Amino acid sequence: MRLLLVCASLLPLFAQDPPKPAAEEKPVAEQTPAPAKEAAAPAGDRVISGSVDLGYRFVSGPAGNFDAYRTVVNLGEGPKVLNFDLTLVNPSSKWYDKITLFGTGWGGDPNEMTRLDASKQRLYDFHFDYRNIAYYNFLPSFANPLIDRNNFATQRGYDMRRRNIEAELRFRPGARITPYVAYSRNWGDGRGVSTFALDASNEYPVFNGLYDKTDRYRAGVNFEFTKFHVTLEQGGTTYKDDENLSTSDRNTGSRPTPFLGQQLFLTGLRQAYRVRGNSIFERAVATYTPWSWIDIAAAFLYSRPRSDVQYSQFNTGNFVNLSTFQFFTSQTQSATADSSQPHSSGNINLEIRPLRRVRVFESWMTDRYHTASSLTLSNLTIVTPQALSTLSADRLAINYNRQQAQVNIDLFRWLTVRAGHRYVWGDAVLRAPTENGGGVNRGELSQQVGLFGAQARFGQKLWINGDAEIASSDRQYFRTSLGDYRKGTLRARYQLINSFGLTGEFSALTNEDPNPNIRFDLASYMTSVGFVWNPKSGKRITILGDYTRSTFSSDLLYYMPQDLTPATSSYRERAHTGTALVDIASPVGAKYAPKLSIGGSFFTSEGSRPTSFYSPIVKLNLPVHERVQVFSEWRYYGLSETFYSYEGFRSHIFVAGLRLIR
Amino acid sequence: MRGSPRWKACAVLTRWSWALLAVVSALALAPRPVFGQTNPGAQAAAPTPAAPAPASGPATYVGSEMCQACHEDISKAFRANRHHVMEVDKKRGWDGKACESCHGPGSKHAESTSADDIRNPAKLAPRESERTCLQCHANQPTNVGRVQSGHGRSEVACVSCHSVHKTHGGDRGRARIMRINEECAACHASTWAQFQKPFRHRLPEGVMSCVDCHNPHGSLLPRSIQTVNANEPGCFRCHGDKRGPFTFEHAPVRMDGCQSCHQPHGSQNPRMLTRHEERFVCLECHANIGTTGIAKSGGTLGGVPPAFHDFRSARFLACSTCHIKVHGSHIDRAFLR
Repeated sequence: MRLLLVCASLLPLFAQDPPKPAAEEKPVAEQTPAPAKEAAAPAGDRVISGSVDLGYRFVSGPAGNFDAYRTVVNLGEGPKVLNFDLTLVNPSSKWYDKITLFGTGWGGDPNEMTRLDASKQRLYDFHFDYRNIAYYNFLPSFANPLIDRNNFATQRGYDMRRRNIEAELRFRPGARITPYVAYSRNWGDGRGVSTFALDASNEYPVFNGLYDKTDRYRAGVNFEFTKFHVTLEQGGTTYKDDENLSTSDRNTGSRPTPFLGQQLFLTGLRQAYRVRGNSIFERAVATYTPWSWIDIAAAFLYSRPRSDVQYSQFNTGNFVNLSTFQFFTSQTQSATADSSQPHSSGNINLEIRPLRRVRVFESWMTDRYHTASSLTLSNLTIVTPQALSTLSADRLAINYNRQQAQVNIDLFRWLTVRAGHRYVWGDAVLRAPTENGGGVNRGELSQQVGLFGAQARFGQKLWINGDAEIASSDRQYFRTSLGDYRKGTLRARYQLINSFGLTGEFSALTNEDPNPNIRFDLASYMTSVGFVWNPKSGKRITILGDYTRSTFSSDLLYYMPQDLTPATSSYRERAHTGTALVDIASPVGAKYAPKLSIGGSFFTSEGSRPTSFYSPIVKLNLPVHERVQVFSEWRYYGLSETFYSYEGFRSHIFVAGLRLIR
Repeated sequence: MRGSPRWKACAVLTRWSWALLAVVSALALAPRPVFGQTNPGAQAAAPTPAAPAPASGPATYVGSEMCQACHEDISKAFRANRHHVMEVDKKRGWDGKACESCHGPGSKHAESTSADDIRNPAKLAPRESERTCLQCHANQPTNVGRVQSGHGRSEVACVSCHSVHKTHGGDRGRARIMRINEECAACHASTWAQFQKPFRHRLPEGVMSCVDCHNPHGSLLPRSIQTVNANEPGCFRCHGDKRGPFTFEHAPVRMDGCQSCHQPHGSQNPRMLTRHEERFVCLECHANIGTTGIAKSGGTLGGVPPAFHDFRSARFLACSTCHIKVHGSHIDRAFLR
């Protein structure tokens, strides 16, 4: 890895363009094949342009369940920098040709984003991306065993921020040899509520502190020549996770009644995870075009993440050990664990054009995991004063392979048909549940899929594309895996006149597994239609809309845990979904014509969880000066659920602000 | 099922596709071109005239200035397009005639002004249109997954998504993300409909785009899912805490991916789960049928012996109330902590 990094860092010194005289004499295909990432900036002086949207958001309500509102919408009140962007163009600068900076959602919004791009032709390309996303999830109906006692506090919720930084610097874009370096960080912190559960006797909702961070570094070099391309990349990650659970309050948990005559409770808890991980990864991809009738692409990818864990737990209260039915009042546990997961993947793909109207695609890929781990757990309770150490190990090995061949034939200039075959096979080894006596479970996968499709093109007016898959499975991993399935998609676009176009899509998926212990039947159908009307290229008015009708049904046999009586897990969803938008620019006040947008979306469903979710929107944009616009927006969010009516909410949101333009 | 006529037919196909791979490999290693085709370098040395060559002789290159005389609006927009580098970069061999690098020599068209006398990639069959682009872009990193991708196999031409003339320099930030999503939704309308459900990734808000999770040019993983850390699912780019490796892995996360329990595009169920109540997500796999030995012909992974959880009690209706580390646990095989 070090050698590669050193080579990568030195490569800019050696990366040379092809000798000029020879290059100028060669035909185009012999030239550097890739266009530069940025076009040449227009000649001229430095140009600065940009805009900023400053506004204030008012949130009315929300009426109904505030936690559900925050889970789904989470828009807050107050002053906001809703959008900003800045562009600097300066072809005469020796440091940059163009710099663009834009951002959105600043001021405490749940989705903040900033992006910076800078480039200098033939010298560098730099990209920086920052996202800050609020994750709030506190639905009363989720993981809440006390809901029937009118306790609307979920036992599994969180309020946290996840942030993501991505930065990449590419040297000499467009040259034949292009080194690059990149760094990214993903981290999250916040708090939540989670449960402390020793076993099935009782569980106690407690405070949960969350913090995790992943740093990723990578460097590589991209070689692009006329007949082939190779990209080599080496990278690594470091990871940390310092989650903790704690409480010092008396907590009777979810069990209201005594167990064997004693009330179970928790009076104190300190539980801490300290996870540290690292990984190396390598990537080598290549394309090769030896002759005009064949393209070859191949990749080899390898990663080896590993983690080390230190865990400690101290809890006091009154607990019971369900395997011995002994009660105890305190417990101390500590554990160390480590795991490693070498992961190799590779593929080779061919596209062959043996005849003018025939294309053959052939691809093969493999993906191989192998997780090996061990755990040492020390346990000390008042009942058993001596510390008991247990050692356990686990493994998971997965081999997945896929091979696919397909032939596309242009029967006519307007019609292409295709047919092919996919074979998916693999095997997996994992440790069986302890209750099954340990040992290992083995699974195998074997599936044959026939592929069919056609595309018809009638000028630029009408385009129809259809795909179908018919699968037959001999072995599958899980009860819910698709076995003998049939899948089809039909898409069409019709441009009736220049200003009016229609689209349509129909997709279907059916699956059946007649095994008497499974009896899995699934059917999913979706039909969508849409249109766009934009006379005079939408100068005055644009109307677009789409509507989707979807039905989903699934039935699968399972056994009730307490008495093993067979039951059926049935899920139904019959939904209507639509979105629409009307953009109108006023015909008066040509230079400062106000623009009105009306639209929104709706979703309404029946079945297992009937839900209605509406989100209409009205926007008004009023230019008052060449460089100043006034904008306002009204949006409504409404959620209602028939079976969980206490989670419904509705809210009106107003935004008013100024757009300043340079 | 094995033994059925459909299975046998598929097995025959498998054998033939392996034979095809062997033949193709042999041909690829052959010392000279076959099928009477020439190499791309030779083709490019004498670019094929776009329009059918008239009896009077092939069309010739006239330069971009000639094109601009009639197509001024396109020419103006093109200056801010990335492809404009073809016009100014002498090393690429098309300086001064970038238009004709895709449209072919334009002398006939310039004389007749007839659309029939010029090649228009947008009106060509996808195969031909794609070759026009791949003349330069074939050997680039973006092309690695093309053969494996659904777009490549379904003949979705480059120009279906990419605008070669226009510039989207004005689309930045949220506007650019929304434009990408609109582009995808134009064909994948029913997928876009799923994003209108209450529990979803934030695409309608314009803070994520389809390409954050999918690589439209193709990927190693099914459904063109983006990869991160070389070969790991792109989901871990943002959800790094679910990556592991864990001491005790939850096998479906590795074998079937997040979508075995979640609907990542959107769901009416909390946490984008596939079922309205969490216990059904779990019980459909963990059906209390112990499975040992090779899981085939009816045996499947995930079976567990009776746990004696009494489902008449509300405490057992949501599995993750206790099994909190359901994505994988560092400490407990039952995912309790």
